Amino acid sequence: MNDGPLIVQSDKTLLLEVDHERADECRKAIAPFAELERAPEHVHTYRVTPLALWNARAAGHDAEQVVDALITHSRYPVPHALLVDVAETMSRFGRLRLEKHPVHGLVLTSTDRAVLEEVLRAKKIAPMLGERVDADTVAVHPSERGTLKQALLKLGWPAEDLAGYVDGERHPIDLAEEGWTLRPYQREAADAFWHGGSGVVVLPCGAGKTIVGAAAMARASATTLILVTNTVSAHQWKQELLRRTSLTEDEIGEYTGSKKEIRPVTIATYQVMTTRRKGVYRHLELFDARDWGLIVYDEVHLLPAPIFRMTADLQARRRIGLTATLVREDGREGDVFSLIGPKRYDAPWKEMENQGWIAPADCVEVRVTLTDDERLSYAMAEAEERYRFCATTPTKMRITEALVRRHLGEQVLVIGQYIDQLDELAEHLDAPVIKGETRVRERERLFQAFRDKEIQVLVVSKVANFSIDLPEASVAIQVSGTFGSRQEEAQRLGRVLRPKSDGGGARFYSVVSRDTVDQDFAAHRQRFLAEQGYAYRIVDADDVLDEA
Amino acid sequence: MSDEFIQWLRERDDEQLCALTSARPELVTPVPAHLAGLAARATSPSAIGRVLDRLDRFTLAVVETLTVHCGPTSLDALVCSLSRALPGDGRSAGLAARVSAAVDRLCALALVYGRREALDVAPGVREVLESPAGLGPPAVEVFRHYPQERLEAIIRDVGAGTPAPFADSAAARGRLAGVLDDLRTVERLVAEVSPQARAALAELAWGPPSGRVPNARREVTAASAKSPIEELLARGLLAATGDESVALPKEVGLFLRGGRLHRDLSPEPPPLTGKRRDPDLADRTAAAQAFAFVRSVEDLCERWGFDPPGVLRTGGLAVRDLKRVATLLDVSEAVAALVVEVAFAAGLIAAGGGVDGDWLPTTAYDMWRVKSTEDRWAVLTSAWLTTDRVPGVVGERDDRDRLLNALHPDLRRSAAPEVRTAALGVLADAERGLAPAPAAVLDRLTWEQPRRRKPNRDRLVEFALKEAEVLGVTGLGALAAHGAALLRSASAGPAAAAGNGARRQPGSAADLLGPLLPEPVDHVLLQADLTAVAPGPLTAELNRWLAITADVESTGGATVYRFGEQSIRRALDAGHSAGDLLSMLESHSATPVPQPLSYLVSDVARRHGRIRVGTASAYIRCDDPALLDQVTADKRSVPLRLRRLAPTVIASRTTRVALVDALRAMGYAPVAESLDGDVVIAQLDTRRAEAAPPAKVTSSFSGLSTEVVAAAVRAMRAGDAAHLARRKPTGAPAGQVPRTPSTATIAALQEAIKQGTRVWIGYLDSQGNASSRILEPARIEAGYLTAYDETRAAVHRFQLHRITGIADIND
Repeated sequence: MNDGPLIVQSDKTLLLEVDHERADECRKAIAPFAELERAPEHVHTYRVTPLALWNARAAGHDAEQVVDALITHSRYPVPHALLVDVAETMSRFGRLRLEKHPVHGLVLTSTDRAVLEEVLRAKKIAPMLGERVDADTVAVHPSERGTLKQALLKLGWPAEDLAGYVDGERHPIDLAEEGWTLRPYQREAADAFWHGGSGVVVLPCGAGKTIVGAAAMARASATTLILVTNTVSAHQWKQELLRRTSLTEDEIGEYTGSKKEIRPVTIATYQVMTTRRKGVYRHLELFDARDWGLIVYDEVHLLPAPIFRMTADLQARRRIGLTATLVREDGREGDVFSLIGPKRYDAPWKEMENQGWIAPADCVEVRVTLTDDERLSYAMAEAEERYRFCATTPTKMRITEALVRRHLGEQVLVIGQYIDQLDELAEHLDAPVIKGETRVRERERLFQAFRDKEIQVLVVSKVANFSIDLPEASVAIQVSGTFGSRQEEAQRLGRVLRPKSDGGGARFYSVVSRDTVDQDFAAHRQRFLAEQGYAYRIVDADDVLDEA
Repeated sequence: MSDEFIQWLRERDDEQLCALTSARPELVTPVPAHLAGLAARATSPSAIGRVLDRLDRFTLAVVETLTVHCGPTSLDALVCSLSRALPGDGRSAGLAARVSAAVDRLCALALVYGRREALDVAPGVREVLESPAGLGPPAVEVFRHYPQERLEAIIRDVGAGTPAPFADSAAARGRLAGVLDDLRTVERLVAEVSPQARAALAELAWGPPSGRVPNARREVTAASAKSPIEELLARGLLAATGDESVALPKEVGLFLRGGRLHRDLSPEPPPLTGKRRDPDLADRTAAAQAFAFVRSVEDLCERWGFDPPGVLRTGGLAVRDLKRVATLLDVSEAVAALVVEVAFAAGLIAAGGGVDGDWLPTTAYDMWRVKSTEDRWAVLTSAWLTTDRVPGVVGERDDRDRLLNALHPDLRRSAAPEVRTAALGVLADAERGLAPAPAAVLDRLTWEQPRRRKPNRDRLVEFALKEAEVLGVTGLGALAAHGAALLRSASAGPAAAAGNGARRQPGSAADLLGPLLPEPVDHVLLQADLTAVAPGPLTAELNRWLAITADVESTGGATVYRFGEQSIRRALDAGHSAGDLLSMLESHSATPVPQPLSYLVSDVARRHGRIRVGTASAYIRCDDPALLDQVTADKRSVPLRLRRLAPTVIASRTTRVALVDALRAMGYAPVAESLDGDVVIAQLDTRRAEAAPPAKVTSSFSGLSTEVVAAAVRAMRAGDAAHLARRKPTGAPAGQVPRTPSTATIAALQEAIKQGTRVWIGYLDSQGNASSRILEPARIEAGYLTAYDETRAAVHRFQLHRITGIADIND
C-alpha cells in the first residue's frame, strides 16, 4: 500500500493530509491543476475542475504529469475512470487555437477537424466567424475574439489564445526599490503573469497585490489602464505607484467621478466606467483613448458585468487581474477565465502567514443573547427587516464597547453595515466615523490620523471594505455585514492581516446575535475563512462582559 | 471417397478417437450407432462449420490450401504451397514442422485424413469452405448458368481454336475450364486486355472475388467489347453469376496471385503491441476501479430499495430512470447501464412488486451486501463474464428502430460470454503489465479465430475491453492479477468463480484483490470548518453513527462528512445526548475536537427539546390550582388518565364529552370550552347521517362495434372452413403461380379484407421456393399480411414483398 498524503475522491476532490511528511511535496505537485477549496487545520480539500485542468494546460502541464502526480501521491489506488476523465478534459484545451494569420488577421485553427466542425455548427458561434480559410482554419472577426473565447468555453472546447498582444504605447516604468524589495512571491507572480501573457494573480489581502501590479507594469513598460473599485482605492493606487515606481505625479491620471485625467498611467473606477446616460456607457472611449499596453483589474472577483462586456473587446491587450479569491457570489468564474485569462499564480493564506508575509489572525465570534423584549420584537419583525433588527440590536453596543476597552492602546476598526448603528456606536465610543457621505478629503485625513496613531478607534461603513491601506489596524470588530457575503468577510479580515511592526497577531471579532438569521448569515460568511484555515472560536458575550 | 474416410476413421486407434470426440463433443451427443454414423456426423456441414470456427489463421490456411488442391496432396507439396504464401522470402526453417503439427491437429479433428503422402480434406469440407482463401468458385461452377452458345463464343475468343461442336453445355464448360487452367493461356489473355481491365482484375485478386456491375449477362465478344469489364467478360476472365454480379473464376484468381493462396500468412500469431504499464500500478488502479464499481452497485441497490423505478411495458428501464442512475452515481450513462446490467446479471435486482412491477433489489442483494468488498466484486465480475446480455448496446436502436433500454429483454447476444472470455484471454496471454491496444487485441482474435470475425463481434470485443476497465478487471488497459485469477476460475467452473465455497481458495480473484483495497479505519479527522474526514472506509459501527450525526459530502477512497445544525438535531432525535455525541467525537477523533464543533453540539442540544409536543384529546383548565389538586387526588379520576401540565392545566387522553360527564359524576360543575375558549352551550344532540352522494347511473350498454362483430363472424367462418379443409384439403388450382404487379396485389388484398373473401396467392418462402396458398386475409400492417392460411389451417403472417401475385378464387 502506498502511504501517500493524498486521497482521491470520486467527485474529483482531492484530500491532502497536511501533517503528512510528504504533504509539502504533494501540494506542489497538485497545485497546478487543482483549486484549493478548503484549507482547515488537518485535511485540505482541492478540487479538480475543468477550469483548473485547463489552467494547468495553459501553464504548460500535460495530462501525463497530472495523472502521474495523482498516482504517485495517492494513498489509495486512483479509480481509472477519473484518470481517463482528467486526460479527456485536458485534451479538450488547445484543440482549438486562436492565431494570427498573415492574410486573414485573426483565425481559429484546429488540430482536430471534428471539433472544428462541431463548433462551426453551434448557433452561437457561427456569427462570430468569417470565411473558411481551409479545412482546419476559419477566419474570426477581430472584434469577437473575447466573446468567441467565452462561447467556446461554454461549449467545453476552450481555445488557446496564441494570437499575441499589441505592445501598446511604450512608456518607461521602473520599480524604485529604495528601502524595500520585491518579495519573492511577488516577483514570481509578476513573472508568471508575464510569461502567460494575461491572467489572474490570486494573493491574500495584505500580501501586496498593488506591488504585483506595479511589477507587472514595470515588465510591460507601456501605458497602463488600471481599473479599481472606488475613488479611495484609486488614490491608494496612485500613492503606492508614486512610492514604488519611477512614475511621477504628472504621469499618473485619475479618471473618477470628480477628475477626468488621461495620462500614460490612468486609474479609473468601475463605477465611472459603468455609468450610463440614456442607455449609453459614456466613458467607454477611455479604453480607446490611448494605445494601452496593459490593463490592470483590481479586485477581479468584483468585476461588474458591463466591464466583462467591455473586456471582451480588449483581447489584444495584456490584462492582469488581481484578487484575494476567485470565489464569485455570482458564479462567473468561467468569464474571468476566458476574458481576463487563466489563473497564473496563487498562494494559500496560511502559507503566507507561516512565511511571515501576513499577520497571524485570531478570529472570534462573539454570540450575544437578545433580551426577552428583543426576542419578541424579532419574532414579530417583517421578514425583510429581520436581519437589520438582529444585526443592530442594542446589546451589540455594550459588547462592542467591552471589546474596545479590552484592546485599549491598540488600533481598532469597528466595521458595520447600517449607518444608524455606526453613528450610535461612534457616539458611544467617542470615535470618528467614515461612511459613504464622508468627503474624500476628510476620509483621507482620518485615515492618516489613524495611521499616525492620533486616533485609535475608527468606525467605518462598508465604503472601507476595499483597498484602503490601514497598516496598523490590529483589531477589527464586525458588528453587521452585507447578509451572508463570504467575499466581504474575507476582505474585512484582510484589513488586519498586514504584517505588524511589532510582529504581533491580529484579532478579528464578529459580533453575532444568537438564534437569529444573523447567526445563519455569519455561519455562511465564515465558511470561506474557515476553509482558508481561519477557524473561528465562538465565545458567549456574557463571558466577555464578565471579564471586563 | 466417403468410404475411404470411414475406412481411415476405422483405422484410427482408440486414443485418437477419444481425442477426436473430446475435441468435438457435439459428434457424440447422442452417441451414433457405428463409426460410419460418426463419420456421417463429422462430415455434416454444421459440424464442420463448428470445428472450422475454432481454427486459428494458420491452421485454417492449411485446410484451405488442401481444399484448393484437387485430390490428395503430399505433405511436401503442402509445405511448398504454403511457403509461397509467407511474406518475404518466406522459407522459414520451422515451416515444415509447423505444417506438420497443423496437419496432425487437423487429423486429430478429422478435418484432414489420409497418409502423409496423400492428404485430403474430409468430405464435406470443400462444400462448407465456399470461397477458400477468398478465391472465387472454379470455372466449372462459375459458368454453370451460361448457355452453350455463349460458352462457345468465349472459347472462340480465348483463341483456343475453333471448337468442334460440343455435345452439350457441360462439355463446353469443361473445355473452358481446361483452357483457363492453363497458366500460359491466362497470362496471354491478361496481357491482351487494356490496363484498366487489368486494374479491375487486380482489385478482385485479393479482395472479395466478386463484384457488382449492371447488366452482367450482356452478350459481348472480344471484338465488340467496349468497356474494361466487357473485355474481361468476353474472355471468360470474369464470369457473370447473376444479372448484376460477376465473379472471378478460381483459376484466374490463382494466376493473378502468382500461385499463392494467401497474401501475408504468418505461422505465428501477430504480436500484441501496446503501452507498457507498471504491473503493480495497473493492479492498484484496477483495484480502485473495482472498489468504485462495487460501491456504485451498492448505491444503486440502496436507492432502488426505497425509490424503485418502474418496469417498462417492454420490460426495460426507462431512459429517464437510467439518467437518474447516472446522476446518482456521478457516471456517464454508458457506465450507469453497465452497473444496472451487472447488478441484474448477478441477480441483485429483479422486477417485482406492484401490478406493473418495479425494479427492486432482491433478497440475494441482502446476502451480497454483508460480504467483503472483494467477494462482492468476485460475484459481480463472474456474473458479467458469463452473462449473454450486452450493456454496450443500451441506447441504440434495433433493426426495427426501437430503442434498446437497459434491462430490456433484447439485450442478449449469445456470442457475448464467449467473446468476453476470448478477449480477456488475449490480455492474459500478453506479458504482465502490457496494455495491448484494442486494435492489437482484435488482430490477435482475428488470427486465432478468423472465421468468427464479423463487425458485430468486433463491437462485442470493444465493449468487453471497455467494460473490463470499468469493472476493475483491467487497470490502465492491462489485465490485473485479480482479473487473471477471475479468468482462470471462470474456466474452471462457474461455482468456483463466484466464490460460493465457504472458504476462499488461495490465489482466487478475491484473495488477490483483498490486500489492494483500502483497509477499514476506526477514526476520523475533525476540523474547525465542521467537517470530519474518514481517511478510508469506516468500521461498521462508526459508519452507522456518522451516517446519523453528519451529512456525507463526498465519497471515494475517503469519506467527508459535514456536521450541521440539522444533522446534530437528527442525532439528538435518534436518542443520543449531547454528552454522548461529544464523547463519541472525542474517542474517535485522531485530533482534538475543534471548539466550533463542540460549541455547535452544545448549542443545538441547548435548544433541542425545549418545546415539547404531545397528544391530548381534552384538557381541564381552572384558575384555582387548589381545585385541580383536588381533582387529581381523587381516586375516581384515575381512569381518565389525567396529567398535570401546569398548575392550572390538566391534559387528558379521554374525549371532552367523557371528561365533562366524569367530572359531573364526581360532583363538579364543568362547562365545555371551544378551541377559542368560548363556552359551548350543551344541547341535546340530535343525530344526523352523513349525506351519501347520489349514485351515478352508468350509461346503458351501447352494443358492440360493427367491426368487432364482423371480425367475430369472419373468425367463425374461417374456423368452419378449416374444419372442412382438414377433411378435404384445398388443392392449389391448376396452372401457374399467380403473378401480378405489387401495387395490384396490395389493392386486391385490401379489397379482399374489406369483402372478407378468400384469395389465391403465389408466395416465395425464405428459400425462394414458389408455392401457392389459399388465404383469408385479415389485415395488412408494417409490410406483413396477416391471414388465415387454408392450405395449412392456421393463421400466418406473410411478407408482402414475397407475394408474387394474387388471383380470385372462382368457387
